[in-house]
Amino acid sequence: MSDISHTQIPTDPSRRDKTQSSHSTGVADKGRWSTQRIAVYALFVALAMAASFIEFPIMPGTPWLKYDLSGIICLVAGFAFGPMAAFIVSVLSWIPHLFMNPWGAIMSIAVSVFLSVPAALVYKRIRTRMGALAGILVGVVFGLVAAIGGNLLITPIYAHMTTAQVMAMVVPILLPFNLIKFAIHGVVTFIIYKPISNLLNRSL
Amino acid sequence: MSPTHMTSEREQATDARPADLEQGRGQASAAFGDPGNGGYGHRDEHGDGPVGNGLAVSLNDIRFSYDHGETWVLEGIDLDIREGERICLVGPNGSGKSTLARLIAGLTAPDGGSVTLLGEPVFEDGTPHSDRFRRARKGIGAVFQNPTDQIITTVVGDDVAFGPENLALTPDRITRRVDASLNAVDMGGYLEADPSRMSGGQQQRIAIAGILAMSPRMIVLDEPTAMLDTQSQRHVLSVLDALQRQGVTIVHVTHRPEELTRADRILSVEGGRLVELSATQAALRLAVTNANDTGTLRPDGVIINAGNGDTAPSASSPSLSRKPSERPDDDPAVLFDHVSFRYPKADADTLHDFSMRIERGEVVAIMGRNGTGKSTLTRLMTALSKPGAGRLEVAGIDLGGGKKHAKQRKKALRSAVGLVMQQPERQLFAETVRQDVAYGPSNQGLTQQQVDERVERALELMGIADLADRSPFSLSGGQQRLAAIAGTIACDPSILILDEPTAGLDAAASERIYALVRTLNAQGVTIVMVTHSLRQARQLADRVITLDGDAAAAHGHGDASPQPATAIPSSSPSSPHGGKRTKCKDAEERQARPSGPGAKTSHHRQPLVQRLDPRVKLVVFLVLMFTSFMVGSVPQLLLTLAMVVAMAAAARLSPRNLWHSLRGFVALLLVMGVVNMLFVRSGRPLLTIAGLPVTTDGVMAAILYTGRFGLVIVLGIILLQTTTPTALTDGFGSLLSPLRRLGLHTQELALVMSLALRFLPTLAGEARDVVDAQSARGGSIETGTPARRIHALAAIVVPIFAGALRHSDNLSLALDARCYEEGIHRTHWHAMHVARRDLVFIALCAIYLAVLLTMKAIPALPRL
Repeated sequence: MSDISHTQIPTDPSRRDKTQSSHSTGVADKGRWSTQRIAVYALFVALAMAASFIEFPIMPGTPWLKYDLSGIICLVAGFAFGPMAAFIVSVLSWIPHLFMNPWGAIMSIAVSVFLSVPAALVYKRIRTRMGALAGILVGVVFGLVAAIGGNLLITPIYAHMTTAQVMAMVVPILLPFNLIKFAIHGVVTFIIYKPISNLLNRSL
Repeated sequence: MSPTHMTSEREQATDARPADLEQGRGQASAAFGDPGNGGYGHRDEHGDGPVGNGLAVSLNDIRFSYDHGETWVLEGIDLDIREGERICLVGPNGSGKSTLARLIAGLTAPDGGSVTLLGEPVFEDGTPHSDRFRRARKGIGAVFQNPTDQIITTVVGDDVAFGPENLALTPDRITRRVDASLNAVDMGGYLEADPSRMSGGQQQRIAIAGILAMSPRMIVLDEPTAMLDTQSQRHVLSVLDALQRQGVTIVHVTHRPEELTRADRILSVEGGRLVELSATQAALRLAVTNANDTGTLRPDGVIINAGNGDTAPSASSPSLSRKPSERPDDDPAVLFDHVSFRYPKADADTLHDFSMRIERGEVVAIMGRNGTGKSTLTRLMTALSKPGAGRLEVAGIDLGGGKKHAKQRKKALRSAVGLVMQQPERQLFAETVRQDVAYGPSNQGLTQQQVDERVERALELMGIADLADRSPFSLSGGQQRLAAIAGTIACDPSILILDEPTAGLDAAASERIYALVRTLNAQGVTIVMVTHSLRQARQLADRVITLDGDAAAAHGHGDASPQPATAIPSSSPSSPHGGKRTKCKDAEERQARPSGPGAKTSHHRQPLVQRLDPRVKLVVFLVLMFTSFMVGSVPQLLLTLAMVVAMAAAARLSPRNLWHSLRGFVALLLVMGVVNMLFVRSGRPLLTIAGLPVTTDGVMAAILYTGRFGLVIVLGIILLQTTTPTALTDGFGSLLSPLRRLGLHTQELALVMSLALRFLPTLAGEARDVVDAQSARGGSIETGTPARRIHALAAIVVPIFAGALRHSDNLSLALDARCYEEGIHRTHWHAMHVARRDLVFIALCAIYLAVLLTMKAIPALPRL
């Protein structure tokens, strides 16, 4: 995980990366985080945090499986600022939940990272609409694995069930829920990214 | 801290002179003028005065372009500013004055020329010298237009301490600096308050205190009062006057003519060059000109006090004048009949027993200080909030009534009433101005042709037809405002509500809005305008309605400067009314007593849990929370319950307080309980619910799983309630710091976290505003075709992202201005060290864990 967070710092000079402007004073140089990078990460983390608190059930009969929009913010952060941003926004935005629902928070972090980091890695290499679509699809596959794997481990902590009982829920409950969730994430991200990228590329 | 800092002991005596501290208001001197003040890291190296020629700033042939030389914002600027000079920079929106201010503050570098700041040649021959920039910045403070974006944490004292921490001052000196600079801006009693819940005026003073605490020799202010009411503006100006007396160099960008009076020189940025203006020239240029004075200047409006607790306006003023053409028995445009309103968590009404009547075709100005409920009025009139009591009718539609036909009424209201919120440019979202303006009309179900006509007319009216095909995000601030207003005008409202439409605009753009009000009013549109400018109210309005609660008391300024020039009579000194944004009451409650240099003294009075080292607390609480999931029997659950109760007692948290925080989780816990109860089939069946048997084991599982999860949540609440966000993120950063060796940016991650927590409520508030504004334009995610819903979603999400990016741009400048850099040696105001109490705490928790594990290990004990 720390591999992901480091290799990107110096090697991400894309024009979308708002870390160095043409009027730099040179104070933040040599791969150090500029205040712009800190500020933009902070605001995206705040957005994702806000979104993570707005949860609602999307499937009847499973009120404990809730949808929240924070994954969209992580995906957008990854597209806009690279895989490291996706990773940081995914992790930090769930930290407050660590103090309310510790295991749930860890699981949410894992799902978010597995969804947004692969998507950002793909989009980093193929910077087209197709690349974005491919990135989202790859992310969804990883996200599904993380979500179902996580549920197998965590559900027995919250409910008096064996792993086998949870296993029985995968096809009728967990798979459809996560498919719906990631489908909404993907469609919304795909639609809003164009106007947002215009915002990012405007002269600052 | 360390022995090397011993020498500074002597300086501390001069660092904060008690006499100055006690004089309080307007005495900025406490934070300044202390010779030998080690605040500027470079002073020791360079001697006391690095500026040999007495120049604070020297700019030579500065050129600056945002588009790689296609157009030049600044084209050959030469400027020398002497130490101690007070300069005002003026010029229209987009003229480059902000750019020039940033150059002077050392926050950006030009494309050509040379820059010398405080004797440091920071930019020469196209090359920035980062070390010199760094040194110069330590002596330069910068304050920006938007107060919110300069506040970096959720506790006033911690926020002000951020700059001194970056200058690596010792904690003792930081305490003195913090106290002195808060007193200098007359916010001495707010050390522990939450700045994100304060009014813009208070926030701006906190931001200035944050800069003063760094003892700058020069301070650069970019329209610091643009968003403030008259009273707050005066506060800021009096701080500047005090700084001027102490010889601090001041560079002040402004639009307001009344702020020019104390300037030594007034410079205007025009066509990329600087022009020096006389005071009279400048005042003329900044005043909003009146195209045809005779026809448009209305007789002075009758000022009626429709404040809280008052009766209907007609009773308070016999001279209540109506235009002769109007018959009082006509259906009014707006009718408030004894309306009260309170925000959900507030402990007082924002509006109390409020009555007013606005006739059709009137132009009414609503005035009053920040936090008196002006914006609440606009929300009520547009059905974004519902009145708690009383009768409210707008455009003949009853807004107070029950749910019957609520949807239709709302829809009718939306097409009759247009709302221009504060800073409406924040709601722009579409790819072109034309598409953005068309959003409202196309939601009204018009044909494409009708929509196009509306859009053309609105753009024409705002004078921005030539911008129709540009991206709204490429426009200047003033142009964005006009485009956003066009978006409301295009909905063709018969009642138009404008909330501070000209705040922060230059004369030319303001003039457009004045013309708009006159034109629409001539067409019969009723106009309700919230404003801070009495001049504006007088020029445009038939009547002025003043809301004045007891804001002065709520702001904590019994000795406040006199009222705005009008001497509007203030209503009875009844209960103070904390508005949604101001929440001053909260702030006052939090910082129990505004007594002296608090941090240290109050520290010792705090309960045990509050005094623990945040790192210890973080780790121990997380261990306790994770291990609580091991609880597998009733005795174990009781043990954990005892531990949690003991913890809450040691933190002296009241049960009511805990319950208040826990309430949000009750539904989740209930669901968990039911699921557990129904999933377990073993044990003796008790009863059957919807065909599913409930067994003894099921009930036991429900109790255990719900109980232990509930206790985990309570532990989390205790941790969060006893630890400030700054302490949490400091602790988090410190715990991560060993990972720094692996190249992880630990200090920065902690800062990112802290800033995120700080901006969370700001973004949430803005998101609500965007949702409200777009729904006032008829956008709806809940209804319509999928395409329309997605369009509505984009109209909400895009402005929210735009807001986040705008905040981040401003925030990064604010971080620069406070000398934050990655990898610098920072000190921490609240030094963390593990004390004996921490060890005792660890030991006690270890004993609890040992007992829990033993109970689990002994099979004899009853297990589930």
